[in-house]
Amino acid sequence: MMQTEELSASWPVFDEKLKTFHRLLTTKAAIGQTPKELVWTLNKAKLYRYIPVVAPEARHRVPLLLIFALMNRPTIMDLRPGHSFVEYMVGKGYDVFLLDWGTPGPEDKDLKFDDYALDYMPRAIRKMQMVSGSSEFSLLGWCIGAILTTIYASMRPQDGLRNLLLLTAPLDFSDRQQLTFARWTDERYFDVDQLLATFGNMPGEMIDYGSKALKPVENYVTNYIRLWDNLDNPRAVESWHAMHTWVKDIFPMAGGAYRQLIVDLYRNNRLMKGELKIRGELVDLKRLRANLLTVIAEGDHLTPPCQSETILPQVGSTDAEIYRVRGGHIGIMAGSGAHKQTWPHIDGWLGARSH
Amino acid sequence: MAADNGTSAPVDPFESFRALRDVYLENMSKVMINAVNSEEYAQVTGAMLNSSLTLSAPFREALDKAMLAALQQLSIPSRQQVVNLAEQLTNLEMRLDDMDAKLDRIAALFSATRSPVAEASPPVSRPSAAAAKSSRRAGARKV
Repeated sequence: MMQTEELSASWPVFDEKLKTFHRLLTTKAAIGQTPKELVWTLNKAKLYRYIPVVAPEARHRVPLLLIFALMNRPTIMDLRPGHSFVEYMVGKGYDVFLLDWGTPGPEDKDLKFDDYALDYMPRAIRKMQMVSGSSEFSLLGWCIGAILTTIYASMRPQDGLRNLLLLTAPLDFSDRQQLTFARWTDERYFDVDQLLATFGNMPGEMIDYGSKALKPVENYVTNYIRLWDNLDNPRAVESWHAMHTWVKDIFPMAGGAYRQLIVDLYRNNRLMKGELKIRGELVDLKRLRANLLTVIAEGDHLTPPCQSETILPQVGSTDAEIYRVRGGHIGIMAGSGAHKQTWPHIDGWLGARSH
Repeated sequence: MAADNGTSAPVDPFESFRALRDVYLENMSKVMINAVNSEEYAQVTGAMLNSSLTLSAPFREALDKAMLAALQQLSIPSRQQVVNLAEQLTNLEMRLDDMDAKLDRIAALFSATRSPVAEASPPVSRPSAAAAKSSRRAGARKV
């Protein structure tokens, strides 16, 4: 039975833990800290170039453009100093650019994959080529960014794309049994047109709920209990705070793009079937001839491995590789083991193809 | 519980329940993952969403009409008018970006052809071009 004196002595510790817990939930961590400069803007999109830290003669000749999803901040690629993919690649001598899609407003509700892949990306790439002085470039697409980069690479293969990296790419929607999102957005249950007619853009809160509801107990309960248990571990706290800051930064997805994601991809798998039309033209994956690295997260519940495994036979690339890594959708790039597995593999693969 | 040196170690009131808590959460997690993966869950959540959108539609339409009428009376632009203006601005921005790219190409061509000429004649200063370039929205800004 606990003594009164022991409880009194424990109270300050408990109180301190409560205050730390509250601070972590109510403040933002400093993320996206690697120095960069803004080199181009269009509407809400911004192209950043990260300040090189390696001497010009030691840098890779071919610049690298990072493209993330449409409904989350790309700062996940530059989460915190000392544990940032961007910082790592800049340190390895790459000329790194990042395309931030920004937050769509009501005026952007009709933006589709067509606009992102054939208007925004070519213009950003054009600027990158001018700034970097290299006509050839590498593209890294993660999550929805992988869909956009795949479409771009298939439709504009002559623009100078040399290397294409796809991370947790949701490309193949044929195995509906493994895709919970496909079940939720089935046309019998989910009226996407009514939803978009009401809101214009797909609300960020609904996207956030959808991704968290795949593992509700982990995301809404265990996540916070794990934090409480590790409040005495400064590294764990810092890591949690940074990730939480990124997760909480939600915003809408352009309605047109969301509709394409649901109707063309989740319901009809048009990209893999060769039926996806972008600006009236069929997306032919055989025209994608860039060197290709597909990174699959074996524990990914958002984009199961089956969605990325079948891309290789579909494309025209002769130099193509699948790299499987243990981890989740975000964890393979932002988790504690990323710097030991995913990042070095990307560097090794890309470095050999960036001269 | 007092330590041997006589001082009290901090007591975690949840320590005795931690193992039980973790087992409970693990089992609940599996139950909930199975539940959200079911057709019934998809059906119910879809029905709830569709119902709420359908039921709220008349109120939203009435509110939109009333708001539009009020804004017109006050000579204040409506949301749709602002959206239209924003779309026009984006189109204008695209055209400016294309012009910017053409200027870059011209500047690059000019630099490439200028080198042998520069040795024979003094350099031509282009303050207006430089000033325009530095004030251009797409100019590099450290962040």
